[in-house]
Parts: sequence; C-alpha cells; structure tokens
Amino acid sequence: MSVTTTAAEPRFDLSTLDFDAIARRANPARTQRVVLFAITAILALAWVTPFYYLAISIFKSNAEYGLGNPLALPTSLTPVFENVAEAWSKAKMGSGMLNSLLYGVVGGGAAIFIAALASYGLTRIDFRGKGFWFMLIFSGTIFPLQMYLIPLFMGYNKLGMTNSRIGMMLFYTAVCIPFPVLVLRNYMAGLPREMDEAARIDGCSEFRIFRSIILPNCWAPMATLFLIQFTWIWNDLIFSMVLTSREEARSLMNGLMVLQGSYANTTPNVVMTATLLASLPSVALFLLLRRHFMNGLKLQSL
Amino acid sequence: MTQQQAFTLPPGAPSIDEMIAAERRRARKRLWTALAFMAPAILFVTVFLLLPVVFNVYASLTQWAKFSGFDQFAGLANYQRLASNPKFFDATINTMIWVAVSFVLPATIGLSLAMLVRGVPGEETFKSIFFLPRMFSATAVGVVWYYVYATEGIVNAGLRAVGLGDLASRWLYESHLATPAMIVTHIWQQVGLMMVLLLIGLNALPSEPMEAAKVDGASRGQVFRHIVLPLLMPTLIMVTTVSVLAGFTSFDLVWVMGRDFPNRSTLTLSVNQYWESFRAGSWAYGAAIAVVLGIIAMSISWSLGALQHRLDKR
Repeated sequence: MSVTTTAAEPRFDLSTLDFDAIARRANPARTQRVVLFAITAILALAWVTPFYYLAISIFKSNAEYGLGNPLALPTSLTPVFENVAEAWSKAKMGSGMLNSLLYGVVGGGAAIFIAALASYGLTRIDFRGKGFWFMLIFSGTIFPLQMYLIPLFMGYNKLGMTNSRIGMMLFYTAVCIPFPVLVLRNYMAGLPREMDEAARIDGCSEFRIFRSIILPNCWAPMATLFLIQFTWIWNDLIFSMVLTSREEARSLMNGLMVLQGSYANTTPNVVMTATLLASLPSVALFLLLRRHFMNGLKLQSL
Repeated sequence: MTQQQAFTLPPGAPSIDEMIAAERRRARKRLWTALAFMAPAILFVTVFLLLPVVFNVYASLTQWAKFSGFDQFAGLANYQRLASNPKFFDATINTMIWVAVSFVLPATIGLSLAMLVRGVPGEETFKSIFFLPRMFSATAVGVVWYYVYATEGIVNAGLRAVGLGDLASRWLYESHLATPAMIVTHIWQQVGLMMVLLLIGLNALPSEPMEAAKVDGASRGQVFRHIVLPLLMPTLIMVTTVSVLAGFTSFDLVWVMGRDFPNRSTLTLSVNQYWESFRAGSWAYGAAIAVVLGIIAMSISWSLGALQHRLDKR
C-alpha cells in the first residue's frame, strides 16, 4: 500500500519532496500502531461501560430507571439529590463512612508503624533466629481469611467485643501487619549500615536510632503501604459482616451490602447511588495518587 | 601472681572466660532489644491470626454447634459429614471451576492486555482504565454487575441492540449461567492488576537477548515465544498464584451477586462456610470447611512456590 502511494506521486522533484511524510506513510509500524491503539481504545470503552452505567443511573428517578434503555442519558440531573439523601439515610452512610475511615486510618496506620518496628528489629540488630521470628510474623499471610472467622467471632463474643469499634480496629491492625513486614524488611536491609553504626557509637538508644534515622528514610514505602492497606480495609466486607451486626460499628461496605439485600429490586437507582458514594473515596485516592499505587504494586511483585 | 598476669594479659583486663561471658551477655541483650521491637507485631499476629487458626483446626474436630458440644471430641466426624453433603459437593465443584478459570484466564488476558497497552499512545491512561475496577470493592462491583446482568440491564440491552435478542437471559437466575457470569465479573475486576504486575515484569526484562534475536532475524512472534515468555515465567507464576488465591476465596462478589441462589448453583466453599457457621450455627462443621479451604490454599501456594524455586535454580 505504502509503495503504491509513493510511486503515484505526480511530480518527482527531490527538492519539494516531503521525505518525512513519505517515511511516515511508508512505515508499516505506524499503521500497526494505529490499529493497536484502536483495539485498545475500543476495549477500554467496553471496560468503562459499567462505570458509565453506574454514573448515569444515579441521575435517574426510580420511574425513569425502570423505563427503556438502561444506557440512555438521564433527562434531568435533579433526581440525584433525592437519590443521595435516600441512599445516605437508608444505608446509614454517615456512620458507615466514619467507621470505615476510622478502621482504615487507625488499622492501616498502626499496622504499618508496628511493621516498621518489627522490620527494624529484624534488619538492624544482630541476633540468632531471625528466620524463625520473621516466619512467625509472615505466617499471618498463608491462611485463607475463612480460617479466622469462627474463632474470632467466638472470642469477640466471649469478651463482649462484637459490635465494638476498638475490636474492629485491633483486628484490622493485626491482619495488615505481615505483608508490610515483608516489604519493609527488604527495604531496610538495603539502607547503609554506617548510618546507625555511627549513631550507636555516639551512644544513641536503639529506639532513638529507629525514630530519627531509619524511620525518616522509610516514608516512601510506608506511605505506599498505607495506601494499599487503607483501601483493603475500606473495601473489606466479610470481617465487618462477622464481627458487627449493629450499625454503630458497621463498616460502609457492610451497610451497602445490607441496603442491596433489601432494596436491590425496588429502588435500583438508590442502591446504585449508594454504591458510587461508597466507592468514591478509594477511587478518588487512586486517581490522585496513581503513581504511589503503581509503586505499591512494584513492591508487591518483588 | 603479678608476674603471671603481666605475662598473659595487662593488669585489670578481663580474662578470656569473662570476655566470652560478656559477649554472651551482649548477644542476649541484643536478642531482647530485637524482641522488644518485634513484640507488638508478634503479639498481634499470634493473638488475632495464629491462635484462631489453631483454634479453628481444633474446633473442626469437635461436635460444637449452637453454643454447645465444644468439649465433645468428634474426631473426623465433621469431615465425614462433608464428604456426604450435597451442598458441600456442589460448592466444591463450583470452587474447582473458579480455580480452573483463575489458573488460565486472568494471566492470559492480563498478558495480552499488557502486550497491547505497552507503547500505545496514552499508555498511562489505558493502564489506569483497566486497573480502575480493582479500586472498587468486590461488594460495589457485585452490586453494579447485579444490575448489568439484570433482565433490563446493559448486557441484554447490548445483545438486543446488535440483533442477538434471543441470547438475552436472566443471567444470575439461570443455574448454568450464574457462575460463569460471576466469573466474568471477577475477571473484569482482577485482570487490570495482572496486567500491571506483568508490565512491571516486562519492563524489568533485560533488552539484550531480544535485540540479539532481532538482529539474527527472529520474527516478533518468535522473540515473544522463545525469549520473552521464558524470561517472564517467574512473574507469570506469581501472577497466577495471586489470581488463583483471589479466585477461590472470593466471598463478597458471590455473596452480593448470588443472593437469590438458583438452587445452590453459585455456592462456593467460602459462601458455604459462612452459611453453615453463621446462619446455620454448625460451628464445628463450618470450621471443617475452613480447614479444607486452608489445605487447598496452602497446597496451591506451595506447589506454585516450588515451581518458582525450580525455575530460579535453572
């Protein structure tokens, strides 16, 4: 194809010939790239269709939702206020948001601080049996979550800790510790030994070295790990289902699940609105801090 | 005495034994310092994760149900009950379908997407788009796709729009369609993660072997099959492990989308476990299902880990 177009060029004057244009047209890699781009774009369009569906549905009243084409644009934007108000009150989203935020921030933050402490012990202090203590902590990742459910529920029940925010925070802290220990241990092992040796000779206590020398050098992986664990806690459903039943301590996703259970078929527009509201915080976090999330995946693949 | 000491050690210096003892003391002190740093992590992990696992295994060997029978030892009776229970049988079959699909599809589709997206203009945007479903909770995805598959949902609307209206069905209510429909949703959510992980692996590959092969006249397909794929194997195994473990323990999605189970056809082991323990109150029996799940999970990660190890040694 490219050969015929260049040959069909009417005048053959070297000085006026646009070599760049010919090169561009003659380049089969270019057509290939255009085709690849088109395929990717079509796929991406298909990929976001459910999101488009979600986004337009929150602007539809119940009657409008039930009518006709599900992908049609809404006729007016005003039903969204009613939908939000209804979703907010029916799914108890106010307390749900607060609880999920509390669990995510405290659970994720505490877990990563505790993991940093443990990694310091594992990498900056010489002692025998490091492998054993590391495996003990890391073994928290090898069991499927289903193995924790019954014992936790029973234990919490005995101690009166079901439906308690403290209980939820404690568990989320525990479950978020092992993976950051793996990452931070590898990271701290790569920091130069000279920094803390000098401080140790000057008579600094170990905790002081941890706080003033090692921790400031670990903010980047710690922030990324925090994002990962925060979203995990925010998106978790099963532990909130098992350990809380009343709305005071219920997480947002649990509230959404309960709402869907009772109103899925009567008010789909309201359930869709609640879904979008519940997902907005973690999605917004991702769109704002995309680079950190992608870095986090790099940590995961090490 | 003074003469003797002057001959071996300077006056006032500790003896060899004392020095060894001092070094032992310092080593012990270092161990205690390290333990102090690790103590919170060890405490949390032991109390909230490891003890529950031990407790779960014990509970599965008792007659525990509805707050009684915890101290009555039942041996393997719960596991025998599992073997003859039709619900457990259906759940196992469905879980096996989830595992088999998660073995093949997420890594394959993820790799295709990675190869497709790599170097395309707007790569970062496309990456984010394909990754985006992963940022939604499985609960939220389940709710949205519950409507995507609804009778008047977008799948059926799309089929009608292209003249395939006959294929429109009540996806989540037909027993032979419900599980495949959920798996499609699960793959839609997970595949972006697999793509990103594989892109990280691809970008970390050395470029010399590929360029050498190109110079020697290898086609793109040959380069991919004989050079890229073998080099990428460790990443592919890691991605497969992640995807299989995510696939067979997935609870939220199945719970939210399969609320109106068309006679057990969507039941998986994790849903079965939740149902038996927290709805039916058969604690010991539910604990036995959890143990089965644990054994499957560990054998999957161990065998894939062993495979990884053998590749590393080569």
